[in-house]
Amino acid sequence: MLGLSDTLAFSLAAICYSVGFLLASLRLRFKQSDGAWISYAGLIAGFSLQTLALNLRGAAIQACPLGNLFEITQFIVWSLILIFFIIGPIFRLRWLSYFTIALAAMLTLLVSLVPGTDTAYQSSVFGGNPWIELHATLAMFSYAVFAILALTSLMFLLQQRSLKKKHHSRLSQYLPSIQQLDTMARRLLLTGFCVLTAALAFGAVFWIQNLQLVPIFKLLVTCLIWVGYGSIIVLRWQHKIVTRRHAMACLILFCGALASLWPVQSARSSTELQPAAVNAPTSDRD
Amino acid sequence: MSTTLQSLFVFGSSHREAPLAIRERFALGPEETLQLQAQLFELPDIKECLVVSTCNRIEIYGLAQNASNIETSVRENLCALRGVERELLDAHSFWHSNLEALQHVLEVCGGLESQIVGETEILGQMKQAYARAQAANCIGSVLNRVFEKSFQAAKAARNQTGITAGQVSIGNVAVELASRIFGQISTSRVLLLGSGEVAEKTAKALKSKGVADISVSSRNFENAHQLAHNFEGAAIEFSDFQQQLAHFDIVVSSTAATEPVLTRTSLERARKKRPDQPCFLIDLGMPRDIEPSVEDLDEVYLYNLDDLSKIANENLEQRKTKIEAARVILKRHAWNLWLQLRRRELQPKRVEAALQSPKSNAVANQA
Repeated sequence: MLGLSDTLAFSLAAICYSVGFLLASLRLRFKQSDGAWISYAGLIAGFSLQTLALNLRGAAIQACPLGNLFEITQFIVWSLILIFFIIGPIFRLRWLSYFTIALAAMLTLLVSLVPGTDTAYQSSVFGGNPWIELHATLAMFSYAVFAILALTSLMFLLQQRSLKKKHHSRLSQYLPSIQQLDTMARRLLLTGFCVLTAALAFGAVFWIQNLQLVPIFKLLVTCLIWVGYGSIIVLRWQHKIVTRRHAMACLILFCGALASLWPVQSARSSTELQPAAVNAPTSDRD
Repeated sequence: MSTTLQSLFVFGSSHREAPLAIRERFALGPEETLQLQAQLFELPDIKECLVVSTCNRIEIYGLAQNASNIETSVRENLCALRGVERELLDAHSFWHSNLEALQHVLEVCGGLESQIVGETEILGQMKQAYARAQAANCIGSVLNRVFEKSFQAAKAARNQTGITAGQVSIGNVAVELASRIFGQISTSRVLLLGSGEVAEKTAKALKSKGVADISVSSRNFENAHQLAHNFEGAAIEFSDFQQQLAHFDIVVSSTAATEPVLTRTSLERARKKRPDQPCFLIDLGMPRDIEPSVEDLDEVYLYNLDDLSKIANENLEQRKTKIEAARVILKRHAWNLWLQLRRRELQPKRVEAALQSPKSNAVANQA
């Protein structure tokens, strides 16, 4: 399609996000404007290329491309931007586009530049089971919701710090109000938790039938993340974690969830059966 | 004998010399201002005297027979009245005499010395102080001339340079901060503590942005009721406001109390009822009305006069040219006034008259 390989399309998407972020930052620095249209342009271009790349990769492996760390990260970023396009206009949160493109640029550049993330894997990683494919997709989607939650939490902390320290920076003037951010964070947390719960429920159907195929480490980490977000909801409901602590908890938990992807993926790769049966996609794998 | 012009002086402390925490220790209430003015006027070396006390400055203008002797007496009188240490006052105050004093009064009247540069409220406050000093018969021909000319010069500088254009008011800053906390402020509930002019203006600015619910609480319930009526809100008994604190998102305080009216304990109690709702406190009192330690509470945003003025002055760079132009105009006026007073000095009868009035007139009247 368009003579592009999936790897090239992924790389171009990463470049679009990075350039968009860079230009928006420069505009903020020198033009005293949020330059939302630059972020939007970068996100649209990057998202289109990423959609193309994921399609190409999916067509090559005949499944949803979630087989290695590279694909998982790309899918999370893609979902993150999709969610941004859905909720962005609804909540009209100024600067969310800037923070979204910053995270997209950071994650896509990281997995593109760090060697060993796009490793070859067994093409039938989901074993043709639609439940596990649904589980994986929903889980990645929940991560994307938690990514947006982490971004709104970060924006909340920046705005709150600026108000507490009485800094009147350009960025803080453009950021949404802390009450708006707090309301949105509460809704995103509930949404993400529901999606993750659904993902775990579908995954449980597969797990009961194939106990030996699911690494205990992955199961443990996933459950910990679920319990973590669930605890935040309960504590928030009890007014024990509110506003700043809520934002910090969401941010820390997302960083933990993101950092756990690598070891979880490694644990899954080592558990996979038939390592020789690789249906190599169009990319050059390590 | 020293000449008239050698003895013109201004002593004071403003936001330039002292931070808010120090300034509030020097601040004088209306009665204390008159008391200090009367005390200084009683000093044998002081011929004319005027005391100004606003939320940003305390200044004593005077005409002395012997300026070198009078400085210590002036400082000690203020220290004694406010119960502050002399070292503290010395470290956070200024003393100008003659031409410098003239330039200073002109720049104060012109708003160039104000915390929000170019604001016009100071001119009204200076006029009020001048009227009070006149009524108390503490000023004579020299300070009369100085102040009348200062008011004219301030107006001229403002009209010729437009320094007030682009100036951001305390009310506008408060509205912007409230928007950064609450987003849409139309549903925010506002409590006005005291009926100070700045607080009223701030409440007006909030109302202009759609705030519908403004309540007023003041020691004088009649005043509170009147102000609440103006804002189509409710008046609350001053003794009750602490119990109702949890219902309000924004509290604007501007009372004449000498001790904080809003303490950390009362706010902590209110926070327990709404732990996840932010609270924006605007303290416009001098001395401060709200205990500074409430700032450490989660979701409490406390801004005082210094904080708001700092934000309001952020566009100073863009207004720099106009401010400098105004300063040049005022310096020219100060120099002209200085020359006029010098010419008067050369006329022995007028000097004698200047040195005699108003104190000698007062003595003569008494006799």
